[in-house]
Amino acid sequence: MDNSISMKVKKKDINAISWGSNAVLNLMFVIYTIVCLGPLALVIAISFTDETEIIIKGYSFIPRKFLVEAYDYILKAGDSIWRAYGVSVFVTLVGTAISLLVICMYAYPLSRQSFKYKSFFSFLTYFTMIFGGGLVPWVMVYTQLFRIKDSIWILIFPYLMNAWFVMIMRTFFKTTVHESIIESARIDGAGEFRTFFVIVLPLCRAGLATIGLFCTLNYWNDWWLPLVFVTDRKYFNIQYLMYQTLSSIQFLTSSSASFSQSSKVLGELPSESARMAIAVVSIGPIIFAYPFFQKYFVKGLTVGAVKG
Amino acid sequence: MFKMKRYLCLAVVLVFALSVMLSGCGGSKPTDAEKTSDAEVSTTGGDEESSVPKDTVEIKFYSVADTQPDMQKINDAATEYLKDKLNVKIIAENFGWGDTYTPKINPMLAAGEAIDVVFTSNWAANYRQNAVAGYFYELNGLLEKYPKIKEIVGADFLNGSAINGKNYAVPTNKEKVHNWGYLLKKDLVDKYKIDAANIKKMEDLEPYYEQIKANEPGITPLLTVQMDATWHLLDWDNISDDDIPGALYNDNRDTKIFNQFEAPESIAMYKKMREYYKKGYVHPDAATQDNVNEEMRSGKYFSVVQPLKPGKAEEMFTSTKIEWVQVDITPPIMSNRETIGALLAIPAKSKNPERAFQFIEMLYTDKFLKNLFVYGIENEHYTKVSDNVVKLTDNQGYMAGNGWRFGDQFKDYLLDNEDPEKWVKFEEYNNKGTALTSLGFAFDSSNVDNQASACKNVIQTYYKQLFCGAVDTDATVAKMSSELKAAGADELIAEMQKQYDAWLTETGKK
Repeated sequence: MDNSISMKVKKKDINAISWGSNAVLNLMFVIYTIVCLGPLALVIAISFTDETEIIIKGYSFIPRKFLVEAYDYILKAGDSIWRAYGVSVFVTLVGTAISLLVICMYAYPLSRQSFKYKSFFSFLTYFTMIFGGGLVPWVMVYTQLFRIKDSIWILIFPYLMNAWFVMIMRTFFKTTVHESIIESARIDGAGEFRTFFVIVLPLCRAGLATIGLFCTLNYWNDWWLPLVFVTDRKYFNIQYLMYQTLSSIQFLTSSSASFSQSSKVLGELPSESARMAIAVVSIGPIIFAYPFFQKYFVKGLTVGAVKG
Repeated sequence: MFKMKRYLCLAVVLVFALSVMLSGCGGSKPTDAEKTSDAEVSTTGGDEESSVPKDTVEIKFYSVADTQPDMQKINDAATEYLKDKLNVKIIAENFGWGDTYTPKINPMLAAGEAIDVVFTSNWAANYRQNAVAGYFYELNGLLEKYPKIKEIVGADFLNGSAINGKNYAVPTNKEKVHNWGYLLKKDLVDKYKIDAANIKKMEDLEPYYEQIKANEPGITPLLTVQMDATWHLLDWDNISDDDIPGALYNDNRDTKIFNQFEAPESIAMYKKMREYYKKGYVHPDAATQDNVNEEMRSGKYFSVVQPLKPGKAEEMFTSTKIEWVQVDITPPIMSNRETIGALLAIPAKSKNPERAFQFIEMLYTDKFLKNLFVYGIENEHYTKVSDNVVKLTDNQGYMAGNGWRFGDQFKDYLLDNEDPEKWVKFEEYNNKGTALTSLGFAFDSSNVDNQASACKNVIQTYYKQLFCGAVDTDATVAKMSSELKAAGADELIAEMQKQYDAWLTETGKK
């Protein structure tokens, strides 16, 4: 692009949109943002609202009576919630780190032209995307082959490898790291591992951040693994505790459960505002993770688009 | 290339090493108990019940109810208590209710894990499915050998929970019958001087509905939420789930199965509700409300239909903080609804089925053990007010409660706010009930699964509006009927009838 053209462009950018559609688009996204943030704001508001007020007057965005009782409940419920919180944090950090390593080390060879068994290993990954063994065999693998039921590893192990992430990562390696860079590294005397860790990975930060974020969310939001595998309360994570509480309430209040004793149980469950407080606490850290990943995120996702 | 291969080798080795390492970390439970499995059944127990088995075995006991912080203390206390009786190490745990218990237990059973005692029922860890799939140990032999449970529960009730004559689980000894009726808000009952004893059918409440509608702004006369509706006053003996067509009358008048949603009584009920709806006796949003307890707690309703039993009103007071008066409408009935409402089973892969069964038996016979699992440890989680009455302490470490989950509920201590005569009344209530002919019949839907789920969908679409009267009766029933027909309701009911007739002949009831 030479100078004279870019001067003209400044006057009227070819890509610019008219004032009207700009306003409409902006408005659309403002509304969309409100729709997304609204429920979150409501949850936070409810967590500060008085319980009896909720029952009588229903939910509202501005608590008529501001209370921190619900958070008090969490503090007192103490142990189990904090421990679950710790489990979640540990699993997310360690899980994401190991998972990234495993995924990258699988994806990288697949991105290299010189890897002889590329198609075989690609097929292995691809195959798992289409066919699964089903729930029971899956459970048996972890409980009877690996015997890691009721340990912290059961919350990490099953999600270490993800075929879809491997595919994304492979494409990312392929498009970001030119064969010539690897070649030059080799000429300078770097071995495969050195090339991988010192040259390739730092070049792919955007991809790592993207996959890292996916993994983080995977681990943080998971309640399925503790649901199926964990019988020892030590390894319950925060999402599972929340799921357990909510499903208890849902089950006991639904009509099909009109078995006569439900009433007694219901009296013992945490109140509406306490439930919302748990929800607020559980989304905490993950919200802070977003800005950290964000600067790489768009770049990572648009990988494979045309490059200049 | 050669270098590449070397790295490949290295990677493979690493992966294996990692997996071995990880499995090493977690493999805390080597199966050394395997050797005791079959041999034990023949060696221990039997006639010399008094002799304590020499080897300590683990009994894993999983049940519904919320997980309790102090569970370990209870386990330790139970282990200590049973040391010179059964010599078992108790590992009990609760996994929440239906939605969390079932998905945890079912894969365990399917994967053949060695669990010893599990809670099962028609609403959590489905008893019939799991029993038919062969995941439960057949208990007939053990029931003969240790007859106490049969004595306590009663042969009738025990047979009611059998599948084709085989017991795969033992039911809790609790209220064995059910009936339906109203809970009326007490302050309004007092204010309008309503004599609860004079209310025998739903029409008897109409004059009061009218008064309350006129004089009490903000109060809706009748609360109806989904299945918690006046519909239950018809008390059909449903063959399958509540929302699947196919039922019998509840008075043993005949053995013909019909579609209860199109029965003349039901249509009359829909029309009545339509009338109420138009008069404003029912909340205009009744069709979309979904939480009966929350609505009850709001105090904005005068009456609601509920399953009743002695002390129901008091029990509802604890959870809703509103005083209720209970009004019985339907007669007490013993049906399949109760027999498989709460059972304990021994999974087929249990290493020590006999010892597990002895443990279950103690939940029926041993007052201390039973109350330990219900209320926790004395002077820590509860204090005794008198011999049989307890008061919960502020210590919330163990609040499992719900003694109906297992064993003999009549052995439970009473809470200080409960009727001291509760168990006596329960006993009377149980004796009043009539047993249905269909007791013990289990419908196997595998031949008509598609029809059953299609019909369920149709019923799910229409029942809420019909039950609360939000829609015109005739038009909606006509629409529902034609959709049910298309969904295969006729084949479904024919299959039910076929199985039921065969069962009647087989059991000699016909």
